[in-house]
Amino acid sequence: LPAGLSQWFPALEVLDVSGTGLAEVGAELLSLPCLHTLLAKNNRLGGPGSLPKGLGQAPLARSLRVLNLSGNRFAEVPPALLQLRGLRSLSLGGNRLHSIPPDIQELRSLEFLYLGGNFIASIPPELAKLPSLKYLVLCDNKIQSIPPQLAQLHSLRSLSLHNNLLTYLPREILNLVHLEELSLRGNPLVVRFVRDLTYNPPSLQELAGRTVKTRNVPYAPSDLPENLVRYLSLASNCPNPKCGGVYFDSCVRQIKFVDFCGKYRLPLMHYLCSPECSSPFSSASQSSTSQSESDSEDEASVAAHRMQKVLLG
Amino acid sequence: FRYTRNLVDNGNGKFNLMILCWGEGHGSSIHDHTDSHCFMKILQGNLKETLFEWPEKKGNGEMIKKSERVLRENQCAYINDSIGLHRVENISHTETAVSLHLYSPPFDTCNTFDQRTGHKHKVTMTFYSQFGERTVCVSTRSYTLK
Repeated sequence: LPAGLSQWFPALEVLDVSGTGLAEVGAELLSLPCLHTLLAKNNRLGGPGSLPKGLGQAPLARSLRVLNLSGNRFAEVPPALLQLRGLRSLSLGGNRLHSIPPDIQELRSLEFLYLGGNFIASIPPELAKLPSLKYLVLCDNKIQSIPPQLAQLHSLRSLSLHNNLLTYLPREILNLVHLEELSLRGNPLVVRFVRDLTYNPPSLQELAGRTVKTRNVPYAPSDLPENLVRYLSLASNCPNPKCGGVYFDSCVRQIKFVDFCGKYRLPLMHYLCSPECSSPFSSASQSSTSQSESDSEDEASVAAHRMQKVLLG
Repeated sequence: FRYTRNLVDNGNGKFNLMILCWGEGHGSSIHDHTDSHCFMKILQGNLKETLFEWPEKKGNGEMIKKSERVLRENQCAYINDSIGLHRVENISHTETAVSLHLYSPPFDTCNTFDQRTGHKHKVTMTFYSQFGERTVCVSTRSYTLK
């Protein structure tokens, strides 16, 4: 960037340096107090020092709203970027990212996140802590599974997952009530019933924990060592509404198909507290497999019905 | 956040002329063209067109790709139902794309196809804008099998 940029153009709000071959964006950026949009796509950014030091302390950290770094050479999300607390829109499409840092949750104002066309293999659950995220693009990556926590993205309207390595989705995806668009093509989604045949029996600690929780055995923090109090707080509810049980670490993974009018079957993974527990999607036992599940009054079927509208034309 | 269809001219009911605006990574579903002629010209950026065979009547397997190509700026393409089905997508993660489409006769419903199974589903197509004015849909959901 030319030296003296902020002296000549102190009121600069939008700066587009795309396609200029820049290998680094220098400190001149830091003294632009009004800048809200920075477009720097198709450059040679990505090495250390691509972004200026002190980015988090500059006025830019609060004023920048839109940042486009697509088509560069970033192999990791630069930590300095995560200090841009006012950022609403971030694009790192077409870079060389292999992962998303958990600290992405620092970008509290983020509404639009484009990470398509990278080499991302997994999604950190911390991504779900972005309360305003509306559009999430993760297409053309190497993602093998979606963390169930992603269902906490209550504002999410559009989720792009096409061309990845997904074999199933977490059942919790049905909880995204505002989701209007979901792209799943180009994933090796399983089409046949799959059941996890290995079941590790629960530990004694788990069995005790389950009993404490399901029998409502009263306890106070002073009654137990701190680690056990914490352990008890991590109980997950078995999704089977007829079960009411809980589990900690020992659970059965099961893939069930949620069938939308026989036109599109979505494989959803859920966890059951024991092999004897039956699926929340049907009142039949687990041995019923590829039949299409008929709609019941189940909470899950209402959610499935909504997802049907998102998926089908 | 998907591609938008913007009607420019309806030729006294004889054709629809529209401009499609594709964001990065946006693609259409596999679709047919309801017995109409379809011309497409790239005005900006690039679009990948993948042609598919019609699935068997009792389609129950992966759909067969016939060919694919990337259409560059100013290139034109034509398709109708006797040629086959296609998917159009902007595969760029950095550039947007704009295309001009001419459909004659005009149609507002078509079938979309699930690539994995060949199952088809009839959909009603909507416009994001018409003659420069934003069209507000009755339903806000974009029902597209992608």
